[in-house]
Amino acid sequence: MKHNLSRHITTQMTDPSFVEEIKKMLGGEKILDCIQCGVCAGSCHARFAMDYSPMQILKMAQLGLKQEVLSSSTIWICTSCYTCASRCPRDLNIPAIMSGFKNMVMKNNVPASIALKPKFHKTFVEIVGKYGRMYEPELKIKLINKTNPGELLRNASFGMRMFRKGKLKFQPFKLDSSTRFSEIYQRVLNQEAQK
Amino acid sequence: MKYAYFPGCAIHGSAKEYAMATNAVNKYLDVELIEIRGWNCCGAIDAVYAYNPLLSISLSARNLALAENTKMGIVTLCCACFFTLSRANSMLRENVDMKGKVDKVINDAGLKYAGGVKVRHYMDILANDVGFDKILQKVTVPLKGLKVAPYYGCLIVRPIGIERFDDPEHPTSMDKVIEALAAEVVYYPDKTRCCGASLVMIDEGVMMEMTKALLLTAKNAQADCIVTPCPMCHFNLDAKQKDIESHFDLDLGIPVLYITQLIGLAFGVPSKELGLHRNLVFPDKILEKLKAPSQATPKAL
Repeated sequence: MKHNLSRHITTQMTDPSFVEEIKKMLGGEKILDCIQCGVCAGSCHARFAMDYSPMQILKMAQLGLKQEVLSSSTIWICTSCYTCASRCPRDLNIPAIMSGFKNMVMKNNVPASIALKPKFHKTFVEIVGKYGRMYEPELKIKLINKTNPGELLRNASFGMRMFRKGKLKFQPFKLDSSTRFSEIYQRVLNQEAQK
Repeated sequence: MKYAYFPGCAIHGSAKEYAMATNAVNKYLDVELIEIRGWNCCGAIDAVYAYNPLLSISLSARNLALAENTKMGIVTLCCACFFTLSRANSMLRENVDMKGKVDKVINDAGLKYAGGVKVRHYMDILANDVGFDKILQKVTVPLKGLKVAPYYGCLIVRPIGIERFDDPEHPTSMDKVIEALAAEVVYYPDKTRCCGASLVMIDEGVMMEMTKALLLTAKNAQADCIVTPCPMCHFNLDAKQKDIESHFDLDLGIPVLYITQLIGLAFGVPSKELGLHRNLVFPDKILEKLKAPSQATPKAL
């Protein structure tokens, strides 16, 4: 875990344009309203697995510590459970801000602290694009670390248990072209590519 | 009562028993769920939204537009879909810029969304459209002596932009349903604590730590089972329970039922129709407990 917040923050580390970038994100408009009350940090159920608490991330964001924020594990560990947001006295949509940070990492190809996380998002989107719906077995298989025999074994035995209970779907369901689903998917992604 | 039904991917995959049980109890409660034809992925809580917000909102908007054509409100069983569709719905109402972009995308695919659909979760239907009295009237096998931990999860009570029907900190709608079935609601302070959700796919250790807490609290409260309305929570609590037991060297064995599976038991629906055989932690202890003194025969519909 990183506990280096107390170190001296120099102006070389801060990016004044970061706050402006955040303000343009969905849910990020009120980033400067955070009063550091700590309710989010005290409420977060996943805090134990984060390097910085949500409160620290918000302060770091206000200060313009872009690199520190985008390379933190916090933004990937957040599960969007909304405990922090529903208790925030300043009505900040903290999970949406975390999603916005992830978006910045994926868009700008910033190295993420947790290697698998962006892979999860990218693979999820790919599968949805292919079928129109999620097909969990394919997602899991693509995310398993195939070089780790322990992980492979654990997942194989889990798969067997699911199979025995009839919970393993063998075929993905695919939306056909009459639904015009892929037109929507392609259009959004093309728009993004043109930017 | 008829609703446009949005199942979501989990219901068609690992959570089929939730749909089975819900179909079974709906017959008693005069609820009809009519599946939206050609529905697609709701847009996902974070996976699609963080990758590309416009894509996530557009995926939701397509579903909302399909529902609008049916002139009925959307009902989902999945708490994640409920949140995702609700988020898109309120954003399309409040954010003119986003509405314009999404309209362009879906209009080109022959769809239009005027913004008139209400997105609701099945728990809301049970509590407010069906009502606790009606549920109580249909009980033929009172679940007397059964101790239940009500686990709501996060997404039907807390997020910004949802159609609120319960208190975000102290929800009670499911407690009241359980009480109507004559079961006992145990004190369960973790009722809205996060299970770890999609971390199961990416950081299983963290998810297991979070779900373990929920299971232990239920165990310490001497609950016979946990009841939930969320397929994602059910996956972590039920399907992953064995992995959690071996990882932390614990003996848990706590059955986790969908709320409609519990209702079905009290209505006298055979356990096979409720898909109880598909739960990974088979609730044999519960079935024995209910069988014990008086075995009522299922009432005809």
